[in-house]
Amino acid sequence: MAGEQKSGADGTVVLRDRYLVYPGKPLADLNSPYADAFHAEDKRDPKKPLFALVARPGMLVRTDSMRALKGTDSPGLMVLVEWGTMDWPPAQRKAMVIIYERPLGGRAMATWTGDFRRVDEGELGRKVITPIFSALKALRTHNVTHRAIRPTNMFWATPERDRLVLGDCVTVPPGFDQPTLVETIESGMCHPAGRGPGTFADDIYAFGASLALLVQGRNPAPTADDELILRRKILHGSFTVLVGEERLLLQTSEFLRGTLCDDAHERWTAESIELWLSGRRLSPLLAKFEKRAVRGFPFGGGEYLTARELAMAFVRNWDAVAQVVLDGRLELWAKRSLDVKETAEAIVAAVRDAAMAMNDKRNAAADVMVARVCMILDGRAPIRYKGMAAMPDGIGAMLAMAVSAGTEVRTITECLMRDVPKAYFETRESYNPDNSSLDTIFRDLKSWLERPNIGNGIERVLYETNDSLPCLSPLIRDDYVLDVRDLLPALDAAAKRGAVKGSPIDRHVAAFIAVRAKFDIERQLADLSLTEPGRSTVAMLNLLAVIQWRLGQGGLQGLAAWVGTLAQPLINNFHDRERRARLEKEIPKVARDGNLVELARLLDSPEEKTLDHHEFQDARAQWAEIRRETRAIEEGRVDNRRAIQFAQRLSALLSVIVCLATLSLLLLARLF
Amino acid sequence: MAKARKTTPAGRGGKGKSGKMVMVIGLLCLVPFSLPTLLVMFVGLLPTFAAAFAERGVNRYAWICVGGLNFSGLAPWLFKLWFGHHTLDYAYDLVTNLTVLLMSYGAACAGWALYLGLPPLVGMLMAATAQRRAIGLLATQKKLVEKWGDAVKTPDEHL
Repeated sequence: MAGEQKSGADGTVVLRDRYLVYPGKPLADLNSPYADAFHAEDKRDPKKPLFALVARPGMLVRTDSMRALKGTDSPGLMVLVEWGTMDWPPAQRKAMVIIYERPLGGRAMATWTGDFRRVDEGELGRKVITPIFSALKALRTHNVTHRAIRPTNMFWATPERDRLVLGDCVTVPPGFDQPTLVETIESGMCHPAGRGPGTFADDIYAFGASLALLVQGRNPAPTADDELILRRKILHGSFTVLVGEERLLLQTSEFLRGTLCDDAHERWTAESIELWLSGRRLSPLLAKFEKRAVRGFPFGGGEYLTARELAMAFVRNWDAVAQVVLDGRLELWAKRSLDVKETAEAIVAAVRDAAMAMNDKRNAAADVMVARVCMILDGRAPIRYKGMAAMPDGIGAMLAMAVSAGTEVRTITECLMRDVPKAYFETRESYNPDNSSLDTIFRDLKSWLERPNIGNGIERVLYETNDSLPCLSPLIRDDYVLDVRDLLPALDAAAKRGAVKGSPIDRHVAAFIAVRAKFDIERQLADLSLTEPGRSTVAMLNLLAVIQWRLGQGGLQGLAAWVGTLAQPLINNFHDRERRARLEKEIPKVARDGNLVELARLLDSPEEKTLDHHEFQDARAQWAEIRRETRAIEEGRVDNRRAIQFAQRLSALLSVIVCLATLSLLLLARLF
Repeated sequence: MAKARKTTPAGRGGKGKSGKMVMVIGLLCLVPFSLPTLLVMFVGLLPTFAAAFAERGVNRYAWICVGGLNFSGLAPWLFKLWFGHHTLDYAYDLVTNLTVLLMSYGAACAGWALYLGLPPLVGMLMAATAQRRAIGLLATQKKLVEKWGDAVKTPDEHL
């Protein structure tokens, strides 16, 4: 979705001919961790307080959520007025810009570690719970999760500070900026980019956790690291970690116990909150603690009494796990100390599967076994494999962030190739229909990874799993191409900038087209990986021509000229040199019109190809016949049998003629 | 098929033999009416008969070539016989006349000379034409390469 922006003379940028964004007027107090805020103005209503958030390049935004939330008006939400990509002069590239209605009362919590003015418990319902809950309901209506609910991302809507609104949630992947303290245990275990959109229950938890901080006016664990927070949540429960000994009103405490319940199935739902808001008292939820073993399991210098803690320790010290699992110590501990027979049996099954692996696959099998054992020990944890930890629906975003940042993606691809997600779904305690569809998706992802040709591979997985990811091709990376409609103009611009080395369709562009194009291009994509000279160029040209034709985009002179420079192998496919010369003359003319369809017709015409082929075959045959004849002449092997025969016939004929002439003369002489 | 191939030459040989037989029978029938002519022709055309019997192969032109000139050499004497004294004595005089024999046999020799001399002459002419044709063919080849490139060539070992 292109922004169709224009730049003003004073450096302002206009989005969709309506919203002015001022790069020279930053609003630091409204910044998000990965998006900078600037003053914005609506040309039709200049008095309306607006601001623009400019997502940082390389950050995966949430366009699906933008689309859903645009114009959504809720008392607890900053209204997302408009969004789109636009040239952003400070970065000298295109950027994603989101226009929001500006909250006027400041941020609820300025910094994560500092104290702030607490919200009075008596006003909690009116100022916080009611508006934010209505925002959550609005989000649920649009089937969107916020996943950025934290006090530092909440703003007072008015200068009177009578209502809180949720801040931006679309400039980063879901849960990316969330501190572990306000995330569920499972989400906290994930890599920030791999938390996934999650569910309404995750937002409810973050809401409860934020509320706990707001009523206290401080962060209850300002110095604790993520590891410690998770361990304490596992051992003591989230409510204890977030509220501690704080004295709260009964109804506040009840609300927090309900929303901070670590078991997602028992956590309060929207209906529970509705009842609470209407004054109904619900039966209080008691904290559930992890089952403790009689004796701790010694591992990596520590002793662990719960399976979840042990699984966390396993993930931290991955390479040492296989040994303790294979020698049966873990199974014994699960059976005797933890006294969970099912867990012990599942561990035995995981070990048996790993032992069946062939020698060369033993290491891989051991890694999968460790991942499976971690899943068995902690059935609610995310997919953890070596250094990665992500929810199934967060793997795509995690991969996108890693590729954007240029970091290692091998662990993620290895995880997909070794069917670790499948093991995750197999070890779930209860059936979830969503898992079946996810399992199918992961099967597809694996099949794409297994196909290394252009249009597949890791790039295909990247775009299949991230609708919001712009094309990451180095050719058009700065053009923020989200839609296939913007692809050809971006390539055309790249050509005009002079970036015309190699093919305009690289691995990223091919995969991007494969995923985002809504028309049939399978054949052209498959042909891109053909190795015969010129065949892949034909496929490239045809693919671009199909896109131009289907989208009705003309005037691509730069791109046509670029493709024209790559057309030499196609011209060389013709044998007739006169035909080649004619094509070389015509290509620049067609390129000047920017017509890729005509260019494709010129270079890949089946009639011309057939004619050229047949004429060439005839010429070959003629050459060979001539060669045979001339060689015979050179070697004196001229077949003169016929000549001799002819000469003999001639001599006989002459003889007969002489004979007849003699007879005639004699007869005439006798008669006259 | 093999049977057919086997039978064809035999059939052809049989036909040739029967033709000769008809010719011999025809000549024998003429004996009572023109014995002098037959005598002169038999003696005068001996080189032709020799050529006809000696020549082997499918295309037998030697006896025609020799025979034509041989008959031309003998023809004046035959005319004398037919339009003069068509008697056996005269015929006998003719066949014992050295001039007659020299003329007819000399003409037969000329026939042989024509038959043997013309093919080499034609061969030489053909060779001269082939050289000129080769130049034309090479020019055509060159044009083909100019139009289609080296790919149009077929390596000699594949010819």
